[in-house]
Amino acid sequence: MGIILEVKNLTKKFSGLTAVNDMSFEINRGEFVGLIGPNGAGKTTIFNLISGFEKPSSGTIRFNGQDITAMKPFKIVNLGLVRTFQLVRSFKYMTILDNINVSSLSRRGKKIAKEYGIDEYSSAILASVGLVDKARIPPVILPHGDLRKLQIGKALGTNPELLLLDEPFSGLSHEESISITNLINSLHSDGVTVFVTGHVLRELMHLVPRVIAMHQGKFIADGPPLEVANNKIVLEAYLGKGEGFA
Amino acid sequence: MFKRAYEKILQLPGYLKIWVKSFTGALTVVCVIGLILLPFSSNTPTFQNVMLRTFTHALIFSIFAASWDFLAGIAGQVSFGHTIFLGVAGYVCAMLVKFLQFPMWISIFIGAFAAVLFGLIIGIPCLRLKGPYLALGTLAFSLIILLILIMGSLADYLFGGAGIPALPRLSNDPKEEYLYVLVFMVISFILLIRISKSKFGTILKSIRDDDTGSQASGINITRYKIYAYMISGFFAGIAGSLYALFITAVNPSGNFGLINSFFAIIMASLGGIATISGSALGAFFFIFIEYVLIQLGFGNWVYLIFAILLIFVVRFAERGLLKPILERLKDLFDIVLGR
Repeated sequence: MGIILEVKNLTKKFSGLTAVNDMSFEINRGEFVGLIGPNGAGKTTIFNLISGFEKPSSGTIRFNGQDITAMKPFKIVNLGLVRTFQLVRSFKYMTILDNINVSSLSRRGKKIAKEYGIDEYSSAILASVGLVDKARIPPVILPHGDLRKLQIGKALGTNPELLLLDEPFSGLSHEESISITNLINSLHSDGVTVFVTGHVLRELMHLVPRVIAMHQGKFIADGPPLEVANNKIVLEAYLGKGEGFA
Repeated sequence: MFKRAYEKILQLPGYLKIWVKSFTGALTVVCVIGLILLPFSSNTPTFQNVMLRTFTHALIFSIFAASWDFLAGIAGQVSFGHTIFLGVAGYVCAMLVKFLQFPMWISIFIGAFAAVLFGLIIGIPCLRLKGPYLALGTLAFSLIILLILIMGSLADYLFGGAGIPALPRLSNDPKEEYLYVLVFMVISFILLIRISKSKFGTILKSIRDDDTGSQASGINITRYKIYAYMISGFFAGIAGSLYALFITAVNPSGNFGLINSFFAIIMASLGGIATISGSALGAFFFIFIEYVLIQLGFGNWVYLIFAILLIFVVRFAERGLLKPILERLKDLFDIVLGR
């Protein structure tokens, strides 16, 4: 198996505010891990640090044993680590096929995509996320659920080993959530290591076998969801002192 | 004669056949044929020496505007210093032709390559700039170069305010001159359009639409931005070399003047940003408005009127004029054909 991601003493300070405070954890290849914490806990900052969009104030990040701390984001993607964004991003004025094409044209994606033809490869990815019938449509008129699928598709175009999904259920209806859950599950069973954030524990409870909890930039707990949900410190973080967990 | 043309069409490769029969394809072919036949339409000296020269001027600026549209509309890098390419290529071409007696055709291309190199020198510091900062940064560079040429301590070594006069013309026959430029223009447009529609173009557009997302998709946006500056600089440089030989002189305000950057912007904007072909429409429109205004004695009002037109375009016709015109024409076409 092996460790695919190793985060050691990761700290990020924004002039006075410590967004991430000495976080350390490991993720093994093929795992399915959740990262939970209330809004503002620092989850997206952790993702930004791991994926290279922010530089840590201190600490190291290793991916497949290689030090990727403060590496440029596109280089990290081409090593096999890709992330999606909490606020959906897309190339608004291109077809969604072209949106995927951009990822397929990355150095890492191209290695595989070239064998099948770039458009064909991207179409296959669209099919795997259930959007192939909308291939020629630009994202600007798609519903939110489809845009979340598109984001995952764009991440897949780079042929990732580790996928960081930032709040993939945010803003989705119940049906759309189920759809995305199935998609993420199938990705995981295909061998992709998945690291998901969410602030609603309920969503992650039934999805992942392991959850890391954080609050105010600090690590609180790491373990199976049920265990973490009943952890005193976690409860206090979400609900304040003296309440039960619904 | 039409039968022979039709047979020729049948021999073209598949996708070209479809394109020629499509509305935009047929319209483009008609326009190009019209442009080819234009110099032969009249033999009066006024036409040949004045009107035809104006058309040639428009063709040169079509290339210039299209190169700006490529950089801004496709790659999302809005430069306010595009005149730098025009000037560098013009000066290098002029020096090669006049002082080293290089053949014109080689000089035109070396001028373009010099523009590309200069583009790198300027582009690299500007890579981290976006939006208004990029506009100001590029504008600042072009101003600096202009001032160095006129007032700096290097001015005397760089021909000062007078520049380099008395350059040879592309051809002393205005018809030939026009046709040479037309060849450059058609080939430039074909190349720019093909590049913008290729997978490479898709990557540039991703940088335009969302450069953070593009990085998150594994694209080295720095490298592709540099490619975009180089390609744009090359074609702008071609226009610059041709312009030098067309005006038969180069000087700081004519070839490095801010107004040229402004021309590129309004011509591409009027035509339609990111259309590439719209730049031709925009170039012809503005060169001819300028010609008409000068003929009517309003020569001093030209820039003011252009500025007002730009404001109108930005306010009322964001997509430019080419696409709406084509859409209306297509509807008209369909009605006429009874569809």
